[in-house]
Amino acid sequence: MADHAMEGSEPIDLSRHPSGIVPTLQNIVATVNLDCPLDLKAIALQARNAEYNPKRFAAVIMRIREPKTTALIFASGKMVCTGAKSETQSKLAARKYARIIQKLNFPAKFKDFKIQNIVGSCDVKFPIRLEGLAYSHGAFSSYEPELFPGLIYRMKQPKIVLLIFVSGKIVITGAKVREETYTAFENIYPVLTEFRKIQQ
Amino acid sequence: MATFELYRRSTIGMCLTETLDEMVQSGTLSPELAIQVLVQFDKMVMFFRGQSMTEALETQVKSKVSIKGHLHTYRFCDNVWTFILQNATFKADEGSENVGRVKIVACDSKLLTQ
Repeated sequence: MADHAMEGSEPIDLSRHPSGIVPTLQNIVATVNLDCPLDLKAIALQARNAEYNPKRFAAVIMRIREPKTTALIFASGKMVCTGAKSETQSKLAARKYARIIQKLNFPAKFKDFKIQNIVGSCDVKFPIRLEGLAYSHGAFSSYEPELFPGLIYRMKQPKIVLLIFVSGKIVITGAKVREETYTAFENIYPVLTEFRKIQQ
Repeated sequence: MATFELYRRSTIGMCLTETLDEMVQSGTLSPELAIQVLVQFDKMVMFFRGQSMTEALETQVKSKVSIKGHLHTYRFCDNVWTFILQNATFKADEGSENVGRVKIVACDSKLLTQ
């Protein structure tokens, strides 16, 4: 898996990305079970960069700088890791958090690591007629500019949600694997070109 | 009710803890009462600190200080914030001061009066 495929640094595989645009992964949310009960107050007192305010939220919020991520650590031993930019970075970060918990003398394991959501974004670099798109794809679209300026497109296959903005900026969310993000974008791209706004 | 246990590690707090320990060991004090004494100690330290600080802030201190630096570590537990800054600059009305490493312990003054 090409992990740090920075835009422009590698030629784009047009068989995989016919549009010539590769969505950038912006956030990955993953869960893992450390499989041991945790004393959250002890963790908050000993670990660095931790917040614990049980009145507000029943988890320790911890951050590390590399990979730059945030973890929610629950007393049950379940953990949520957010903020990573790739699958491998997400797993590495989750392992680092598990290691921190182990170093505080909890018998933490690393069970059932699973990526729950992948968020990607890209820019098609042309404006889009959202009203037209919403009208012709009514079954999938929700466009209420008084509530939210973007069009919410709920694709069925793959089951992915896209936020489409007039500016041509796109957010793709709901994927469990990055291929779903890519497929969803390639599916929508011809539709976007069809509803390209011709500026006067 | 928020409890502020951060002054238990001070000299006076350690002395009190040691004495209470001894009394519990010798059986002159019940462990429950010892804990009550410690909680009362927390309250009083914070009360006096809070009083003198609020008073000083209200009557004497007019200048404001801004602190800027690399946040090496932060923590929020038991309603107390702890920050460790590296290469911090303290800026007041007249001039500024650089500090290589500084630890800031802060808590919500509203919780002190409770």
